[in-house]
Amino acid sequence: MGTTASQLPKDLLSEYQELTFLTKQEILLAHKRFTELLARDDRNCPNPRVPMSRILTLPELKSNPFKERICLVFSTSDNKDGSLTFEDFLDLLSAFSDSATSDIKSHYAFRIFDFDDDGTLDRKDLERLVNCLTGDTDETRLTSDEMKQLINNILEESDIDKDGTVNLSEFQHVISRSPDFVSSFKIVL
Amino acid sequence: MYWARERETSDAGGHIHYSPHQSLRLRERPSNSAVQRPPQFNWNTDQPEEGAKGRPRNLKELPLPMELKKAIRQVQQMKVPVMSNWQSWKISKSKTMKRFLEESREVLAYVAPWRRTLHKIGGHFGGGVQSYFLFLRFLVVLNFLSFLLIAGFVLAPSIVFQSSPGNSETQNSIDRTECMIYSPEPQSLSVFYQYFLDLLTGMGFMEYSYLFYGFYNNTEMMNTQVSYNIPVAYLLTTAFYFIFCLICIVLRMGAVIRDVVKTGGGAVGGYSTLVFTAWDYGLQGNRATNLKQNNIRYQLQMDLEEERIRKVAASLTMAQTMGLYSLRAVLNLVVFGLIGGAFYAIFKATQFSQSQTGDNFLHLIVQYLPSIVITAANFLVPFLCDKIALLEKHSPSTTVILALLRAVFLRLVSLGVLLFTLWSGITCNGVTENTACSVCQYNHKQYQCWETRVGQEMYKLAVFDFITVIAVMILVEFPRRMLVDHCPCKLAQFVGRQEFVVPQNVLGLVYGQTVVWTGALFCPLLPAINTIKFIIIFYCRKITLFQNCRPADRTFRSNSSNFFFLLVLLLGWSLATVALIYAAVMIHPSMSCGPFRFLSMMWSVVPDSLQTLSNSSRDFLYFMGSQAFCIPLFVSLCVVLCYIAALASVYGKTVSLLRSQLKMEGRDKQFLVKKIKELNSANRRNCEAWNPTSRDSFGTK
Repeated sequence: MGTTASQLPKDLLSEYQELTFLTKQEILLAHKRFTELLARDDRNCPNPRVPMSRILTLPELKSNPFKERICLVFSTSDNKDGSLTFEDFLDLLSAFSDSATSDIKSHYAFRIFDFDDDGTLDRKDLERLVNCLTGDTDETRLTSDEMKQLINNILEESDIDKDGTVNLSEFQHVISRSPDFVSSFKIVL
Repeated sequence: MYWARERETSDAGGHIHYSPHQSLRLRERPSNSAVQRPPQFNWNTDQPEEGAKGRPRNLKELPLPMELKKAIRQVQQMKVPVMSNWQSWKISKSKTMKRFLEESREVLAYVAPWRRTLHKIGGHFGGGVQSYFLFLRFLVVLNFLSFLLIAGFVLAPSIVFQSSPGNSETQNSIDRTECMIYSPEPQSLSVFYQYFLDLLTGMGFMEYSYLFYGFYNNTEMMNTQVSYNIPVAYLLTTAFYFIFCLICIVLRMGAVIRDVVKTGGGAVGGYSTLVFTAWDYGLQGNRATNLKQNNIRYQLQMDLEEERIRKVAASLTMAQTMGLYSLRAVLNLVVFGLIGGAFYAIFKATQFSQSQTGDNFLHLIVQYLPSIVITAANFLVPFLCDKIALLEKHSPSTTVILALLRAVFLRLVSLGVLLFTLWSGITCNGVTENTACSVCQYNHKQYQCWETRVGQEMYKLAVFDFITVIAVMILVEFPRRMLVDHCPCKLAQFVGRQEFVVPQNVLGLVYGQTVVWTGALFCPLLPAINTIKFIIIFYCRKITLFQNCRPADRTFRSNSSNFFFLLVLLLGWSLATVALIYAAVMIHPSMSCGPFRFLSMMWSVVPDSLQTLSNSSRDFLYFMGSQAFCIPLFVSLCVVLCYIAALASVYGKTVSLLRSQLKMEGRDKQFLVKKIKELNSANRRNCEAWNPTSRDSFGTK
């Protein structure tokens, strides 16, 4: 469905309200910010796509260490370049909104952390995750000993079936024990 | 790329069904396949009633991109279920109700003050600091609503009926004239700063005003059209104010408790919880992100270090552990001694200040002596306890919890000590045969109008608390930041910028609110003063946060600490309730002032006014209070409680059963994977034996 340049039609608005966790105000604000990101000639296209480089200029995403993964996860483009249509953008905001359920958030968090897209978090994924969390420069990385000790501890705590990787159910089990996850997995425009 | 999960059920509307075989095969050839494998969706919707109710929620909760959700919705809408009139009416009503709730939630969020500021604070300093400001906003709204309640039911009628001619005061039925002397001395302004002194102490021109209890009369308005009994209104409004605050706090706790219970008390997480849930996605700006990353790295390194140390400490000998425990016992005794010393100092200071009268600036200091001693104790004792806690060698999380518990105990009990001292002065330690109290049942020489005096003490506490906050901000925080920023000396770099410590600040708010609750009966305008005070404190804290502070090194967990703040607030509320009930029931009201002056007990105004009601309502109220009603009510509440406890234990057992089932399924999966590998390799060997030139499509593995 294409969005016209300045206004969202009312039926689309109510459809989006039903299909996402966003309120009417939030959808309209998202539409405004999305059209600002579009290049001028793209604005009248039926279903415009914003390239990843422009999405990453949003202040809410600019300094997030997971920004590329977020774009890649929510993108529906065929060549996996992380570009987002307006509906992808709404999906993103819905998963990160205030009223989204813990299930949805943990599902998307798992996909964001799965750097190699194979459906599980293995040692390499976990290592890249920890590096994103601590900062990926030479001074801020953990030493290799600390990293090994940390990943061993993580796998011991969360890998229930002892296959050396964390799958979605085990991940959601860990998330369900943390009360702060839902309030910290939030991006509000 | 989408993948399948082991098992997923949803009980309303569409039925999502994932096949387990796909995940096993995915395990065989990871990331080589670019095949899109969407989760299979069962298009046969059955049970239209449940489906209709759950359908909108169900679509939102599907982790699919928008196009697929739209397609599913279209299919669902095409299948128009055959429903009766009643069902379709019910569905449309529930839809309108849901939409109405969403709209009202939007309006409420729009109207809530300081929305943008709180968002900015959360972005720069994280969820822990934001929870302090959310708590402050909750208290501001609570105080403002309480002020409206009191103004509507007590203040406005007093002002109106004061000037109208139709009121009647009940006649003086007591002939003890010496108890009726009350001269609040609204002097003319003899000295120019008298105005300012009176403003600070609540005496002089402020004493005999709507601010304090002593000004209100026991007027009972008895017109033909309207009748309003001010004493009853005064007492019942205060009671409703307390109940209203309790309901607000419990409602706010309800949402937080649900999260805490679900996660089993929010145990201080292991490494996986930290790594998976630590990142705050609301942070904006490079500075905040770098700080958060430093924070996480620091925490991980500390936890790993603690684990290494714990492995060493587990190998301590028996003698060393005994030594450690005895050291801890001695240090706890020292801490209790410090706290006891603080209480004694408060007791003495209150006694001294209550017995002095005077007029000059020195007298102002004497008036404020209890407040000064309480504030000094609340600053010094936790500081010393922190230093002592370093010797106790607990783990860092235990140290934080212990420090908070000690600080809470100190703050609330010091207020209790102040109230106890006042009580012992007013009622001569409860001994009414003592000469000072035998005439009027209270110490009428020292306290001509004791309720106003108690109100003044609470007013002074509130004012001094406010002055302390402003003074600390101006005299300590701003100079410290200027020193750190502009002085290159080593001491400044060592001390560093101020850290915004959330727990201590929250305890300060709880203390201020407890003071207001305790003084509400005696100083009806105190909630209004507190609203203004908290609003100013909000802006001051915001300024100091952005100008002077750096974020804390240790993250403060927002959800579990929210519950702790509300619990402490509830403790303060119960302390104030005990004081209120005692004052209303046990102490003889002053005979020279106030709306209860000709009664022997404040509460007796309610039974007296009940007599004037009509027979049927009186009988109804008596029935509600009688045993025939209360005992069955109590028994049925016990039954409901037992049922809920049984339900909770059943849910707990179900959770542990599901957990062990999860473990077993993992093992089953491993077994099946092994079997499949063996079968595959056997198959391949067979194929190659029959036809050595063929290769199967899976490639070599």
